[in-house]
Amino acid sequence: MAPPRGRGGSGGFRGGRSDGGRGRGGGRGFGDRSNSGFKPSGGRGDRGGRGRGGDRGRGRGGRGRGGMKGGTKVVVEPHRHAGVFLAKGKEDALVTKNMVPGEAVYNEKRISVQNEDGTKVEYRIWNPFRSKLAAAILGGVDEIWIKPGAKVLYLGAASGTTVSHVSDLVGPTGCVYAVEFSHRSGRDLVNMAKKRTNVIPIIEDARHPAKYRMLVGMVDVIFSDVAQPDQARILALNASYFLKAGGHFVISIKANCIDCTIPPELVFQSEVKKLQAEQFKPFEQVTLEPFERDHACVIGGYRVPKKSKATA
Amino acid sequence: MPESKALVGLSWEPKIPNFSSATKTGLGFDAKPQETPRESNHLWKPATELVDGLFVPPNNPKTLNKMRRKQLKDTTGSNWFDMPAPTMTPELQRDLQLLNLRSVMDPKRHYKKGDSQPAKYFQVGTVVESPSDFFSGRLTKKERKTTIAEELLSDPALATYRKRKVREIEEKNRPADNEKWKNKGKMSYKRAKHRRL
Repeated sequence: MAPPRGRGGSGGFRGGRSDGGRGRGGGRGFGDRSNSGFKPSGGRGDRGGRGRGGDRGRGRGGRGRGGMKGGTKVVVEPHRHAGVFLAKGKEDALVTKNMVPGEAVYNEKRISVQNEDGTKVEYRIWNPFRSKLAAAILGGVDEIWIKPGAKVLYLGAASGTTVSHVSDLVGPTGCVYAVEFSHRSGRDLVNMAKKRTNVIPIIEDARHPAKYRMLVGMVDVIFSDVAQPDQARILALNASYFLKAGGHFVISIKANCIDCTIPPELVFQSEVKKLQAEQFKPFEQVTLEPFERDHACVIGGYRVPKKSKATA
Repeated sequence: MPESKALVGLSWEPKIPNFSSATKTGLGFDAKPQETPRESNHLWKPATELVDGLFVPPNNPKTLNKMRRKQLKDTTGSNWFDMPAPTMTPELQRDLQLLNLRSVMDPKRHYKKGDSQPAKYFQVGTVVESPSDFFSGRLTKKERKTTIAEELLSDPALATYRKRKVREIEEKNRPADNEKWKNKGKMSYKRAKHRRL
């Protein structure tokens, strides 16, 4: 794992996530930490939510800046990506439909909707500062391949904040296999999976897929967020075991975790080269810029059949 | 015949017709609409047309399909978990219009350009804060309103900006009057005299 960086109790990359956002990082308090709104214009002053902290002064406040406040009215619309919704109010937020109404996983805000026929639906706000998949969606990826009914293998699940949203995305017909090595954050993951029937937590090293091969079936998509120097190899290993031919992968690359001596663009390039050598075919690459520093998200296909290659 | 059966103990006996789907010439069902073409449609039939007091779906698969399609709820489909299209009310329409024009409500907020046509499928919901959210993350009971329009109207900080803007626009659009010809400031009569002295 990466050594913790930054100031504050919960600084650093993994540490900041595994504590479920409870720690107090930089200058602001608790209410602001769970700030779930985002402005589309996303300036530098907004890179909070993770406790990296240097530039979050007290001067940022001002009226109405603290994200969506509890009690406001919003309009929920379908997003371009299947299974994702957009909540529009004074500001916009990505939301997913809550599989377990009435339950928040990491103290995020929810949106409750009363339908005309009296049924109640609930959505959960998806914070792009805490989830790289949400950041990639806001970065404008063409296709995330994770949609209702899909089977997803999630490597590097941490405490399960993003996994809970992926489980919302695939819905009751889909399935998420969440692999996490650390027992400490795995505990939160298991607790979350207790309430969600479509999440299967696996506390195992993602480098050894043979250890959990009896738990995982063939999957449509692999999402990898392991932040290790050999993450391309880890992804290839898991894909060879579980990913169907013509399946897809989504990998988030943190440049600092692979090689901090060369510029991030070169790191991304070399990682894409490594993936191409392993029968992966990258379709697109986006930077997660306003939300994460020196991160890229690469999306592509695995063992793409020749026919679709010609059309695509 | 019913009287004789009643003695045995059965007071009512279902008259079982041969089903219209089984036989083509079984019942006068298809022939009957010609007598009363005005009153009957596929969904509602006068009692005289009902078969033994029961509604029997039409025989024709084409009309049956049409009926089914009509009864299907208008939703986004399974990709967005069957989100229904709401019935439009004036309040709802006003809220959507406000959302479209939200960029003018607050000078300090900037938005991406949205879709040109309004969404057909949407739901109106309320944000629920988590119990650990601080007071800055939630509205008080008094500040909670039922529509987006009311919420925007009740915000005092927005109101000052809105009033100023309205005044500016009204002033600009006011028809010209004698104000235009008055000498103001340096050009006033008094100041001109003072300068001459």
